Formats: sequence, structure tokens, C-alpha cells
Amino acid sequence: MAKFFKRYRDRITGMFFVLPAVAYMLVMMVYPLLYNFLLSFRDLTVMNFKGNTSVFVGLSNYSTILQDPAFHQAFWQTLWFTAACIVVQFSLGIILAAFFNGKFALAGSVRGLLLVAWMMPVSVTGLLFKYMFLTEGGVINDLLKMVGLMGGAPLGWLINPSLAMWAVIITNCWIGIPFNMLLLSTGMSNISHDIYESAAIDGCTVLQRFFRITVPLLKTSILSVLMLGFIYTFKVFDLVFMMTKGGPLNATEVLSTYSYRQSFTLFNFSMGAASAVILFLCLMLVGVFYLRLIRKDEVM
Amino acid sequence: MVKTQVGKLRAVSGRVIAKRMLMNLIALLIAVAFLFPLYWILISSFKTDVEIFNKNIAYWPRDFSFVPWVHQLTDNDFLFSLRNSFVIALLNMTLSTVFGCTAAYGLARFRTPGKKIIMLLFLVTQMMPGSLLLTPLYLMFTGAGMLNSYAAPTLAIATGSIPFIVVTLRPFFLSLPKSLDEAARIDGCNAFTSFIRIMIPIARVGLVTCLVFCFLHGWNDLVYSMTFNIKASMRPLTANIYKFMDKYGTKWNQIMAYGMILVVPVVLIFVSLQKYIVGGLTSGAIKE
Repeated sequence: MAKFFKRYRDRITGMFFVLPAVAYMLVMMVYPLLYNFLLSFRDLTVMNFKGNTSVFVGLSNYSTILQDPAFHQAFWQTLWFTAACIVVQFSLGIILAAFFNGKFALAGSVRGLLLVAWMMPVSVTGLLFKYMFLTEGGVINDLLKMVGLMGGAPLGWLINPSLAMWAVIITNCWIGIPFNMLLLSTGMSNISHDIYESAAIDGCTVLQRFFRITVPLLKTSILSVLMLGFIYTFKVFDLVFMMTKGGPLNATEVLSTYSYRQSFTLFNFSMGAASAVILFLCLMLVGVFYLRLIRKDEVM
Repeated sequence: MVKTQVGKLRAVSGRVIAKRMLMNLIALLIAVAFLFPLYWILISSFKTDVEIFNKNIAYWPRDFSFVPWVHQLTDNDFLFSLRNSFVIALLNMTLSTVFGCTAAYGLARFRTPGKKIIMLLFLVTQMMPGSLLLTPLYLMFTGAGMLNSYAAPTLAIATGSIPFIVVTLRPFFLSLPKSLDEAARIDGCNAFTSFIRIMIPIARVGLVTCLVFCFLHGWNDLVYSMTFNIKASMRPLTANIYKFMDKYGTKWNQIMAYGMILVVPVVLIFVSLQKYIVGGLTSGAIKE
């Protein structure tokens, strides 16, 4: 009986600690999420918001969006943006992580310094690269000309629809590389040096060491970095909004800017809600795998 | 025999030293190339108008001008936004830390019912895009008359910060021996005082990481402040950038000074707390 009581008390105490945060998340996140979901089946716009006269319209918002060419463009551009960013930031991130895993005086401090790129406000990063990518007076065109990579007219990075996405991708990689490096280098520092030493005795080359030892031993770490990378990149908003606002000619429109435009430029709240739901479903496709991967550690 | 071995060792260590020198050199080159944008924002903010509009780009300002910085720091609109940035960041830091730390401790220490689902809730939240909450929260805040306030962006930002704290800090509490808690109880602490007096001080490395990141979440926020606070006087620096760009057009030295002032606190925090940030992040943010 006393044992039962003690166990019961333990649970109650635990609930006291956990309850405030859970209540907060229920009110500020779960409820809005459900509200957003319901909203996506109605026709709420700025016109009928005050009178509260919106009606249930079923799936018609979804079918409108799925038939909208601008949505298709935004969807494929988001995928392309995500894929390009992940390939670049992961491969450079893992190379840098391996490099800074070496024993030399500047390893720690330089690796730390690179992280500032990731911690800066994204709005400032966007602004800064917007300035650097200017056609006239932008330092990137000037540097390209200096090293002889740009012969003719200066490149219109942010005004040419076929170049704008590249400018945003490059900027996003600048933010993402140090983050990938940080997460991967933690995994690497956990690999015992004995393994490398015995490999060195067996005559292993640097490349063999990387692909035969580092990569297989880092498998879980690599998988979770890739999935986290997908999740963070796929929902990009601030950077695109600051650099191009989705332009020129929708060339850099992604799902989150599309959803934002529906809700807060066109004030078509239900359409914004429906496109946000689609964005969320895409994220959860990968999110489920990520959750399964880390489940063992996080949720006991 | 012995002599030749010593000679060999010397040769090897000579090679190792040369290799380390080379690696230091490469590290420096990487830093210079990668951090060039930071150099660029810094020197651009000290350029004169003449130099900014000059077609030949100067990689080192001919004359340093403090005019853009002075101009920003004496502008009333700017100072108001700066204050708003600090208020929102500090509010988010306080709110999220109080809710997040207690939950992290509760989930690590007690047999809380529904633990699995609660952890799942926090993990899923970390993956959610801001745009998913934007429309419903906007409508809720409109209904509650909360637009153009500090509360609206803060409450929204904390939905990201609280899960971050729980996920980052819970492993810290898990790694502390349970006997610590029990000893505190025997000495007359209850669960709450033992949390405040024993657990929090011991978990301070993780706690500092959380404080820093919650401050930065608030400081760096753009989308919530921009959407919920339409009045420029209630917006933080990030959300007022566009209004500001209309005002200065292509005076990029002014714009870069504005950006620098947003970056300075981040760099200061980072330089002074680097070991906490890197240590705390890597122990909790990702699992192996």
C-alpha cells in the first residue's frame, strides 16, 4: 500500500513539472494546428472574417491549389532547392568535419568561428548576400571578373530567373555547411583513434580511411543529419523572403512563401491554411523516418 | 642501433610538425574564404557614400567613416526597433526557459503518464514550419486583440523554443545520478526545491546553451513579428528591415551598418560562451 502510494506520488510530482509546458503547447500549437486544419476546409478570406460567415467547402481549396500552376512550380522548386542544398552542405560539411577532426592548433577555434554563419539572423544573411549578389556593385560579380570566370556582361544573379535560385541556394549552403559540420564532427570525435591507428598500420590511405571507417561508423549520425537537413531546408522562408520574395517571375517561390502569399498578401486565409497543410504533410513524410531513427534514444 | 631509432623518431616528428603547420595554414585559408561575407558586411558598414556608389569596388575602405553607424544609433526609429528586439528576445528566453526546463526535468526524472506521447509532441513540433502556425495564430491573436504587442510574437516563438529546450536539456538531467536527488530529499528538500537548488546548478552547462538559443530564437525571428506586428513602432529590427530599405534605397553602407548591429550581439554571445554552445548543442541536439 505504501509502495503504491509512493509510486502514485512520483507520478503526480512528475505531472506538476511537465504539465505547464504541455498545456502551453496544447493551447499555442495543437489547437492552432487543428484550427488550421479546419480552416483549410472552409472559405475564410479577409472579406468574410469579421462577419464570421465563412462556410464549409470540403476539399475545394485543395483541388484549387493542386490545379494552380504556381503551386506546382513552387513545389518542384522547393524540392530542387532542398536537394541542391543538402548535396552541397552535406558533402562540404563532412569534408570540413573530417578535416577539423585532425589534431592541429587551430582546429577547434576555426571550426567554432565558422558557426557564426549559422547563428546569425537569417534576415541579415539574406540582406548581406543580396548586396553581394548585386549585378552592378556586387562583390561576387567583381570577384568572378577578377579571377577571369566572367568574361562578358555582369551576371544578374537576383534579376535573372534562371540564376536567382542559384543565388538563394548558395546563400543557404553558407548557413547550412557549418551546421552539418558541427553535427558530423561530434559523431567523428566519438570514433576511437585506435581504429585509425591500426588501419594506418595496415597501410590504409586517407580516402580508404574515410570511406571504409569514418562513413560506416557514422551511419546513424549521417542519416539523422540528412533528415534534419531535409526538414530545415524544405521549410525555408526567411531567406527567400529577404532575398527575392519568391521572384523574379516566381523563380524562387517555395511552398512556405506560396502559403504566406495566400494568407497575407491575398488574405485568402483558407488557401494559405490548405497549402500549409500540404507543406506539413511533405515534412512529415521524412519526419516519420527521423522519429523512428531517434526513437530509441529520445522516447524511452 | 639506438641512435638510428632516435634519428628516425626525429625525422617522423619533423614530418608531423610540417603536416600540422600545413593543416593550420589550410584551416586559415578556409576561414578566410568562408568568412569573407562577414568581412564584407563589416567593411561596407564603414564606407562613405562616395565609396559605396563608386563603380570600382574597394576591398579596403580608403577612408573609414563612422557616419552609417552613428546615423543608425542616433535614429529614433532604429532605437525603438532595437529595444523591441531585446524585449522580444528576453521575454522569449524567460518564458521558454521556465516552461522548458521544468518539463525537461519532469520527463527525465519521473514516471510521468503519457511520457512517450509528450516527447513525441515536442519532437514533432521541432519539425513544423512556421507557416503552419502563422495563419491560425494570426486569426487567434486578431480575435483576442493581441496584434501589435510583444506578447503575440513571443508566444509564437516560444512554441519553437520550448521543444528545443526539452529535447536539449532532458539528456542532461537523465545523465545525472538519481542518488543526487535522493540525497537532497533526505536533507529535507522537496521535489521542487531539489530541482531549483541541486539540479539546475548542476545542469548549468545545458542551461546556458538553452538560454543562449532561446535568446537567439527571439532575436533572429522575422516571420512572426513581421506578421503579427504591423505597426513599425512595435516591430523588432529584423521585421523593420524592409521599411528601412525603402528609406535608404541603395545606400548599402547604411543597410550594412543596420545589419551589423543585429550581428554584434550574436558574435559577442558566441565568443564569450562558445564552449557552452558547442558542448550543449552536440550533447542534446543530436543523438547517436
